[in-house]
Amino acid sequence: MSTLATLRSQCHWKAAGLLVPGLLLCSAASADRIERHFKVEAHPVVTIHNPNGTVTVRAWTKSDVMVIARRATTEVEVDAEQTGNRVDVQTRQVADTASPDDLRTDFEISVPEDAELQIHNDSGGVNVSNVLGDMNVETIAAGVDLEDTAGYLTVKTVGGAFQCLRCAGRLEVTSISGNFKLVDLRSYYVRAQTSEGNILFNGSFLPNATYVLKNYSGAIEVRFSPGDSFDLSATSLKGKVHNEANLTPSSHHHFIPRFGNALFGSYNSGRARVELNSFDGTINILKRN
Amino acid sequence: MEGDRTPDARAHVRECPHCRSLVEDMDAVRLVAHAWSVEEADPPARVWLSLRAQLEREGLIRDEVSEEAHASAPSRTEAPRGWLAGIFAAVPRPALAGAYLLALIAGSFALTRPSAKQVNESRWISGTQDSTGTLSAQLQTAERDSVSAMAGSDPVVTASLHDNLAIVDNYIALCEKSVREDPESEIARDYLYDAYEQKADLLAQMTERGVNGR
Repeated sequence: MSTLATLRSQCHWKAAGLLVPGLLLCSAASADRIERHFKVEAHPVVTIHNPNGTVTVRAWTKSDVMVIARRATTEVEVDAEQTGNRVDVQTRQVADTASPDDLRTDFEISVPEDAELQIHNDSGGVNVSNVLGDMNVETIAAGVDLEDTAGYLTVKTVGGAFQCLRCAGRLEVTSISGNFKLVDLRSYYVRAQTSEGNILFNGSFLPNATYVLKNYSGAIEVRFSPGDSFDLSATSLKGKVHNEANLTPSSHHHFIPRFGNALFGSYNSGRARVELNSFDGTINILKRN
Repeated sequence: MEGDRTPDARAHVRECPHCRSLVEDMDAVRLVAHAWSVEEADPPARVWLSLRAQLEREGLIRDEVSEEAHASAPSRTEAPRGWLAGIFAAVPRPALAGAYLLALIAGSFALTRPSAKQVNESRWISGTQDSTGTLSAQLQTAERDSVSAMAGSDPVVTASLHDNLAIVDNYIALCEKSVREDPESEIARDYLYDAYEQKADLLAQMTERGVNGR
């Protein structure tokens, strides 16, 4: 059973006019606020398609999905649809003459912590915190900030930066010019690839986990502590590799590459696998402060 | 496989749980593959002939024996263009365009990858140039379509896509130079492959946004 709800403006013009005559000056260009609630069961799926504006998603303890939208003008409509345990939220342009600024809509969405998220946002920004379900985020210029998330996380940007703070689970992130900051991670699988951006990894090296960081140019920086244990492979075809880790020759690497600057070895017992690859960027393996 | 292992390697495998696990996996794959080869008959010869003929038509492989006969066939550049045009005309969807370009990239690189030490460098470079030349032409056509489709889209998004397209084009040029300088460098080829893949993906996104009017 599908419930389609086209969200209408809740800017109460008449009431505002009676209470505060000055508000009659409020024009169609003013931002208005829309709020909707959807009752969901365990592991709901929430999709958000918002080309222009910020998307902020937070987990809460209720079995509801709450959507609060603030649209710049009435040139853009906000649609929400619940189908079973899935909630789809999207913005839709209603006038061909609208400028990109007219179409801007900011969302604040609260979801159960086990929700699965699918977010598309071209420009603006995406912020997600405390959501533990799987997540797919795609942007063009928008940056993506995740905090205290888990599950299978896939993030794809073109130019947007990506930051992941205290993320767990599996993380795959790609970009062309976005910078990546992966801080205090507890992920067992990380694959991060950006072309021009820098990559900072400052997280835990879990036993038997895999961490693959790759770029063309820019810097790859990995921070480690004395108690960490990893098997390292670091190669920069045209750039440099700087290392502060006291590595022992790895029994797993029998082949030495003929091209580029490469470094192989184990740190402590080599329990995690770390692969760092760059075309002409610099790779830094540094002690954590 | 066991016969290929040196005593040192055998000793290492006995002591190293990582490598032992890897070897066990490979042995399991070998056994399954062997079982399949026993159970299943080879496909009919006409399947291979048909596949080979298709790949030759696409210019992805070359049959030296029939090189002369090939001269009367459609040219290397004409055939893929016809195939691409047919697909795009029938199903003009950006996702399909991206998927096709990715498949073309993968096929081009897989078929021109050197085989161990027996690589003939000049033939390999020639093969690479043939495949990437076709690929570059396809990407240029896709780029023209994608850029024109973006007219009227959000300028911030359009600018970002154009800036990043320039970045990828720059990396393609750098990687191609690197492959020319070190033709046997697998790393350089992998980076070139990635750069082409990124460009195809980016063009698909540009087309999609243009088609959707965003």
